[in-house]
Amino acid sequence: MTPAVQVGLALFGLGLAAVALRGRLLAMLLGLELMIAGVTVILTYQAGVFGDPAGLAAVVLIIAVAAAEAVVGLCLILRLHHAGLSGEASSLSELRE
Amino acid sequence: MAVPVSVYLLFLAPTAALLVSFFFLRPYKPGWTHLPILASCAVVSGSAIDLAAKVYTGWSLDQTMGLWMAAGNWSVSFGVRIDGLSSAVLAMVAVVGALIHVYAAGYMKEDPAFPRFFLSFHLFYLSMIGMLVSNNFVQFYLFWEGVGLCSFLLIGFWTHKPAARAASLQAFVTNRVGDFAFLVAIFILLKTYGDTSFGRVFELMAYGGGPLLALVGLLLFVAAASKSAQFPLYFWLPDAMEGPTPVSALMHAATMVTAGIFLLARAWPLVAFVPGLPHLIAAVGGGTAVFAGLLACGQTDLKRILAYSTVSHLGLMALALGLGRVGIAVLHLIMHGFFKAVLFLCAGNIAHGLGKSAADISETGGLRKSMPLTMACFTAGALSLAGFWPTAGFFSKDGIIEAALEAGPGWLAMALAAAALGGFYISRMLFLAFFGPSPEQKPGRCHEAPACMAVPVGFLALAALTAGGLSHGIGALLGIGRLSSEESLALAHFSWPVFGLGTSAAVAGLGLAWFATMARPSFDWTWRRRLPWLQALVASDFGWRKVVALVASACWGLAEWIGGFLDHRTWDGLIEGSVPASVALGGTLSLKSGRLGDYLWWILTGTAVLLAAVLL
Repeated sequence: MTPAVQVGLALFGLGLAAVALRGRLLAMLLGLELMIAGVTVILTYQAGVFGDPAGLAAVVLIIAVAAAEAVVGLCLILRLHHAGLSGEASSLSELRE
Repeated sequence: MAVPVSVYLLFLAPTAALLVSFFFLRPYKPGWTHLPILASCAVVSGSAIDLAAKVYTGWSLDQTMGLWMAAGNWSVSFGVRIDGLSSAVLAMVAVVGALIHVYAAGYMKEDPAFPRFFLSFHLFYLSMIGMLVSNNFVQFYLFWEGVGLCSFLLIGFWTHKPAARAASLQAFVTNRVGDFAFLVAIFILLKTYGDTSFGRVFELMAYGGGPLLALVGLLLFVAAASKSAQFPLYFWLPDAMEGPTPVSALMHAATMVTAGIFLLARAWPLVAFVPGLPHLIAAVGGGTAVFAGLLACGQTDLKRILAYSTVSHLGLMALALGLGRVGIAVLHLIMHGFFKAVLFLCAGNIAHGLGKSAADISETGGLRKSMPLTMACFTAGALSLAGFWPTAGFFSKDGIIEAALEAGPGWLAMALAAAALGGFYISRMLFLAFFGPSPEQKPGRCHEAPACMAVPVGFLALAALTAGGLSHGIGALLGIGRLSSEESLALAHFSWPVFGLGTSAAVAGLGLAWFATMARPSFDWTWRRRLPWLQALVASDFGWRKVVALVASACWGLAEWIGGFLDHRTWDGLIEGSVPASVALGGTLSLKSGRLGDYLWWILTGTAVLLAAVLL
């Protein structure tokens, strides 16, 4: 396993842990970003190894999607804040029943 | 091989006209919808004549334009085939269709749904043109369905009339029977040969195809019988008269009903390859010709008389075709297109003059004074239909009688009976509509048609009188780029016995009609009152309509059972039951905590299980 892949996996694992273990929505969103970053690191490295520009194209696409996802996610969190709810994921349980 | 511009124009001009009319003129300038469409008709007619002239010099084309679809070891390409058969029929369809378009522009001018009418009308035309120049069965089927769809849209054009809605549904459903047969035939061909282009199939067929090939032939005949209104499935055509008259004219003369005969002529090598099938076609055709001819004699609606007459003439075409004389059948198809168009448009003139959508013989009579031009054109068409020398109908009908004479006395009897009946019903219609007393009609109430309707009728009448002169040229045309054998495409030669038989049959019909209408003007009304059982028999098509109604109600019941019991109760119950079932399952497993984190853990677990299944 090359260092690049190790870094990527470590970022992905950190992000996953943040999403799974932290309760704050903002932290969970950051965790998601970390996971995405981990994947892009691995993709970029492998694109270089195989000399395949398709990998880099995928990375560019992921960055764009991640940006959009961050925008939407932050907007939702802001709306929750305005609605007077706490930033905790556990506060969002209205759809249970 | 270079594809001439005319071939592209056949597709591009109608498509462009339809798009422009639909997107720009229909919403903003509905009264102009027909202008690009008429221009496209002119372009298509010019291209068709250009192609026919090219083919006449010995040129023909069977060109694949591109791959349409492919999977595994089969493929379907989009291509054109311009040979003698397609160019001859194409020229007739394009020119007659264009003239009917011009007529329709006048006939439908007042209708509030004018744009919808013209767009469907032109799509009908485009479908038929595309069908004629197809070079494979699948492409043929595409346009075949297009023709079926447009006929549905146009027969039921006056959606406020319940009868029109019912007739369009009946036409569509009856055609589905044939469409299904055609589809199965195509599937068998694809499975057996992996290719559906006419040339390839007929080539590969020689190496054998077994009993499946016989099935394909039979299925193609079923398809043709439904589209071309042959005996078991003919009944939709007379009812289709509920549509506007230009639609009837286009359907009967140029686009719809000729499709089945054209299919059989196109697939003739395959049909002839199946032992016994040609004779079956001839028998069904001959039977239909006499059956429908008899019924035409008892009708009172002008358009219904013509509709039964079309069924009868299609039967004659099938008879000639089944006897192996494809050339004669196609010649009759072309000649029939000319004279039937005139007759329908004249009936439309009468209805238009009376200010109604359909006219009955009891409302007409003595129209020769108020509509002299229509009478002259109708007489030309009637003479042609009856097959008097030297009109167009004579040349093809004589050919059919000659083919029947060669085949045997039974066939001859059918052909002559159909010819005599043709002479009778068309003369009866002529006498009752234009001569004789005019029943309770104020003079001058019925007026002659405006110029834009009269001119196309005049041209078509001219064609119905003189198109016989083209028969030699058409005979030469048919032999070019042919797929069928040369003798099957040969036309008839003039012979005195055939001339005597055909003309005496027509004269007998004419004389009898004169006797029944002019000599005894009340005869047509008195027999209906005196013999009500005969009247009922004619009204129910000798009882066949009752059988059809029985079969239709049985099918309707089956469909209700499938829709109500199988689909609604059983299948829908299964689907709808799955929702409460999964909710109950979730409740018992208590998975729905409502906390995001819990769901995330489930996602992680599921992903881990899937990853393990893939990797280990």
